[in-house]
Amino acid sequence: MAAKTKKKKQVEIFALGNEAVVEGALLAGCDFYAGYPITPSTEIAEEMARRLPHLEEGVFIQMEDEIAGLGAVIGASLAGRKAMTATSGPGFSLMQEHIGYASITETPLVLVNVMRAGPSTGMPTSPAQGDVQQARWGTHGDHPIIVLSAGDVQECLEMTVTAFNFAEKYRTPVILLLDEITAHTREKITVPDPDDLYVCSRLLPSMPPEWYMPFEDNMRGVSPMPPLGSGYRYHVTGLTHDDHGYPTSKPKEVESFISRLFRKIDQFFYDIQIVDEIQCEDAETCIIAYGCVGRAAEMAVQMAREQGEKVGLLKLKTLFPFPRPIVEKMLRQCSFVLVPEMNMGQISREVKRVNNGQSKVGTINRIDGQTITPGEILKKILKG
Amino acid sequence: MVSIDDFGTFETAWCPGCGNHSILKALKNALVKLKLKPHESIFVSGIGQAAKAPHYFKTNLFNGLHGRALPAATGIKLANPRATVIVQSGDGCTYGEGGNHFLAAIRRNINLTLLVHDNQIYALTKGQAGPTTSQGHKTKAQPKGNPSENFNPVAVAVAMQANFVSRGFAGMMDQLSDLIVQAVQHPGFSLVDILQPCVTFNKINTFSWYKERCYELKDHDPDNWLKAMELSREWEEKIPLGVIFKGNKPSFEEKLPHPTGKPLYYNKPSKEKIQKVVNSYA
Repeated sequence: MAAKTKKKKQVEIFALGNEAVVEGALLAGCDFYAGYPITPSTEIAEEMARRLPHLEEGVFIQMEDEIAGLGAVIGASLAGRKAMTATSGPGFSLMQEHIGYASITETPLVLVNVMRAGPSTGMPTSPAQGDVQQARWGTHGDHPIIVLSAGDVQECLEMTVTAFNFAEKYRTPVILLLDEITAHTREKITVPDPDDLYVCSRLLPSMPPEWYMPFEDNMRGVSPMPPLGSGYRYHVTGLTHDDHGYPTSKPKEVESFISRLFRKIDQFFYDIQIVDEIQCEDAETCIIAYGCVGRAAEMAVQMAREQGEKVGLLKLKTLFPFPRPIVEKMLRQCSFVLVPEMNMGQISREVKRVNNGQSKVGTINRIDGQTITPGEILKKILKG
Repeated sequence: MVSIDDFGTFETAWCPGCGNHSILKALKNALVKLKLKPHESIFVSGIGQAAKAPHYFKTNLFNGLHGRALPAATGIKLANPRATVIVQSGDGCTYGEGGNHFLAAIRRNINLTLLVHDNQIYALTKGQAGPTTSQGHKTKAQPKGNPSENFNPVAVAVAMQANFVSRGFAGMMDQLSDLIVQAVQHPGFSLVDILQPCVTFNKINTFSWYKERCYELKDHDPDNWLKAMELSREWEEKIPLGVIFKGNKPSFEEKLPHPTGKPLYYNKPSKEKIQKVVNSYA
């Protein structure tokens, strides 16, 4: 990667989406990666293997399968590290049980899923956005989760930093969804100035070890988290557990525990909701898009505006918890809302769910491994 | 000083007479001999009756998914190389659901100890054939007898030249406790396969079945791989107990680019480190 220094400290690099994920992770302080190679996410593993050992005495390990990959990430995170893994469709399916484990044990981690066309082996080198609802509901049982997306290489870097911040702040697994196009696009990006970069790390306990309660509720709903093996003795289990971390099936304790898991995400909804509003102020038609489709939609907005159409774009960077308030605002404001996506309608169903008849919701669904073009979106808008 | 009382006493979900009780006691004795205080070791377990064991004494516990204890232990050990990491689970969890991880852990040779409660049956789910259940063994799920041959973990581990391979028996607590101490002290991957009668769901491999066959290894040189291979195949007539094979391969951690042994959690994110990342583009 050739670097060019612009002004003071401002660094520009030429990077692949997958490489930008790695840079974002390193900037966020990630120093543990475990995973298993799979197209189209493999460059993340390869770049991690190259970069990690040289920078922060970080550890890269290639595991025997994706299940082991996420398992090792959970172990490392509980032992005090900022850890991540990356995969694609089939590997993402294998990881689902561990996602639930990370959720119930409140283990911070970042999981990047570079979406390829499916189901099953599908088209390994073609893009899709078919794992959106799986990211939300893939693991069994009721659980809160944060799902983010990125649509260009700059966003890959920024959203990876954000993913780590959310994971650490809220002690939760965070899934970052990319698609094959975004992951394999190479373009110029700007590395944020370290002085401006917001990097958040998990809260450590300030009380002595004998007073420490690993899963005690507090105002934030997020308990401090010491590294396993650092002197604060505690139990971590996938069973529902009490404040001390020991298994419990007492209805009262289970109820308050699971409610807290949801509450800690719900009460910080406005911190977690990230969207780009592009020319939305006076929009009469709104496009709601994410990932690489968001980029095509941006172009479509520009083309429509040139033709005098009042079109805006709501680019979702947080997919779950679903950014309902801002979507509702656009549904109230616009007579037509278009949701183009590379699946059979996984986000449009969320939009329709919150619509309540306020607006007309249209969709473009492509599942042939081809990207949705600005022209296609424009055509649909003009037709209304 | 560490005493057995430091680990506390807990009510268990195990049947009276279960081999798990004596394994737990032997384990606590081993931890006392190793002078490991409750907060100084990290136990990692999966799912099963055996995997419940670390819930029943004071320790750091990662009670993970069925079959997936070894990957989590790998992550923990690499993030904190100074920690004593002990994986404890049953035969179904370790050799069945987690079989792939078992093979990978031997190859990788990370410095951790694997204790497997091997009762040759799935006891948590009330008695179906597991990976070590003998062929022909009738269960509710295999009414015509288990059609598959039993897995021999000791033979596989010896064949792969795992760094430390041993077998203990729940009925011989002193030897078992000693084996656990040796396994923890030996660098690299260590296996203690622990034969354990299941009084409720395995009416074939009973306490007396084991008692008739088990014998303590004397004058065996664990460096002798060919002899170890031979011993590892002994099963039907007599079963050898003790250290079967010992290797001296370097552990995975020693081969890392920065084998400092410093726990990674001392790496606090800082602006200087971020600057270092940015500077590395030049």
